[in-house]
Amino acid sequence: MSAAGQTLKLLHPLVEKYLRKERMPHMACSGCGIGQVVHSTLLAIDDLGLTPQDTVWVQGVGCSSRITYSTWVGDNVDAHHGRIFAVATGLKMARPDMNFILFTGDGDCGAIGGNHFIHACRRNLDVTAILFNNGIYGMTGGQVAPTSPVGAVTTTTPYGNIEDPFDMCQMAVAAGASYVARWRSTDFKPLVASIKKGIQTKGLAFIEVLLQCPTNFGRYVLKTSSPLEVVKWIKEHSVTQKEAEKLSKDDLAGKYLLGEFVHRPERRGIVERYQELLKQHQKE
Amino acid sequence: MPSGVKPGRYFVQGDEAIAEGAIAAGCRFFAGYPITPSSEASETMARRLPEVGGVCLQMEDELASIHSVGGAAVGGLKAMTISSGPGISLKLEGLGWGIKNEIPYVVVDIQRAGPSNGVATRVGQGDLYTVRYGSAGGNHCTIALSPKSTQEAFDLTIECFNFSEIFRCPVFLLSDETVGHTRELLVIPEESELKVVKRIKPTVSPEQFVMYPLDTPGVINHPFPNIGEGYGICVSPYTHTSKGYASTAQEIQEKMAKRLVYKVTENLDKLLRVEKQKMEDAEFAVVAYGGNARPAIAAMEMARERGMRVGFFRPIIVWPFPDGEVLKVAEKVKAILVCELNIDGQLVREVARAAKGKAKVYHLGSGGVEPHLPAQIFSEVRRLYK
Repeated sequence: MSAAGQTLKLLHPLVEKYLRKERMPHMACSGCGIGQVVHSTLLAIDDLGLTPQDTVWVQGVGCSSRITYSTWVGDNVDAHHGRIFAVATGLKMARPDMNFILFTGDGDCGAIGGNHFIHACRRNLDVTAILFNNGIYGMTGGQVAPTSPVGAVTTTTPYGNIEDPFDMCQMAVAAGASYVARWRSTDFKPLVASIKKGIQTKGLAFIEVLLQCPTNFGRYVLKTSSPLEVVKWIKEHSVTQKEAEKLSKDDLAGKYLLGEFVHRPERRGIVERYQELLKQHQKE
Repeated sequence: MPSGVKPGRYFVQGDEAIAEGAIAAGCRFFAGYPITPSSEASETMARRLPEVGGVCLQMEDELASIHSVGGAAVGGLKAMTISSGPGISLKLEGLGWGIKNEIPYVVVDIQRAGPSNGVATRVGQGDLYTVRYGSAGGNHCTIALSPKSTQEAFDLTIECFNFSEIFRCPVFLLSDETVGHTRELLVIPEESELKVVKRIKPTVSPEQFVMYPLDTPGVINHPFPNIGEGYGICVSPYTHTSKGYASTAQEIQEKMAKRLVYKVTENLDKLLRVEKQKMEDAEFAVVAYGGNARPAIAAMEMARERGMRVGFFRPIIVWPFPDGEVLKVAEKVKAILVCELNIDGQLVREVARAAKGKAKVYHLGSGGVEPHLPAQIFSEVRRLYK
């Protein structure tokens, strides 16, 4: 029997309910954290009672997107590299009644699509964006990302990365997103709760997930092929905001802050404001 | 949705006529980025779209404009974006997504003198090949219409929307600064007199529906389902199967490429739009397109007044290029003079290719800023006419 056939027998109930069986097995590498994030997202969707009729999955380009694309049993809209927020703007303005869940990556959102990301936050577009941050370009084979740590050896930084990583949560807060949080792929319960909160919050919800990429981040940056080693590295390099209060500046250097950074559901966004504009100016 | 048609006689610019044409065609999403000489269309859309319940956004850049238009079209709205040369070169990145996923929308190019920023407020005609071949990867066939007047800017914008629905692809309105900024009479007819093609929706169940008809590449009027209605549409930048699933198979790539080309090339008869004047007895033809057609027509009339048998030919549809019609002209006349606002020679290449050596083909180029003067074209006709 084929590998695909065997997998079909072992399908997770959430996969049965929400994903396309003919798209299984997915194409994630073994040990990749993307499955954990999709699992958390599906639990949030299930808890909230969202359906394929009212929810669309939107992707960009990279591991975050290529692996999740065309798996959702409803509609799947996969944008060009970096254009996920621009496409989502058109989608949401055309269909304000529907939920749009965006899967983007650190290259997609933080590099090539950075400007669209900033302006989607500024407009406070009512979508839920989940950032899969693996600290490297995985799909293209281990090149340096705007999120790679200083010193990281990658295929395009053979002498070590000399650039500071991009804190995209801080950017989202500064630009005006309604909800901003960061978790690790292993923070199962808070991540599910956070995605639920994000979906329920009007305006842009930006949830960053630090996830392990043993294939490329492990291989080039940490010189390991073990997913657990990469998970361990992420744990050692992340602290909750409460823990951070007790740490010195030096101790915090190179550490990711975890938790919710902002929750301001009262902040209005473009979708709501456009409806009001129409109420005032629509003649026909 | 309300019709938005405002019948009447107006004294407006070509750019404003484009906006009114789009609204009459049912366009309910517009996204743009300010750029001369197209901004008057964006400004008109910003004022008019909310009146008819539509969405108008100024995006952060040209890329976001065209991608949000693609997103809105997938979301079920008729949509349009507009720009000029330097902005069009950016928009081409997003155009590929629309082409590949067979998304109906309209892109307007108000050409100005280039390359690069060139002369922002003045005319040029350097984008003929840009709109045809600019999108990376080939394997598609552009549809582009070019107006010569404010009235045509209105009429052809509606036609662009209709073609985008019928052929399920992005369609260009390739205008220029002369037409964009010429203020003249626009007559908007009653709604009942306008032919508007609505978004075609599936009549079969999701199980039976084929999102991308790779096995029937020449089929047109193919539906585009709404999101959220169980069709589970899959849209992506990747080469796809008929369901939209990414594929690296050579067979699938071959089929998809053929689909994107054949749906246009197998239906050329539905696209043919040309203008001919005094070609019946002509021995010499003047060829021009867009705003530059007007001095060319005036030059032809000057030649006629002097007893010269000169005719005029204009491709209204510039892509796919009307090869057959040009060949007919070439078989009739001894020589053809192609007048266009670029020095490198773009339209002239197409005319020379389509003429197949049946007539001599001459080029009167200009770097732009001003359209040709009738006397300029006429003196060239007199020099070449034998």
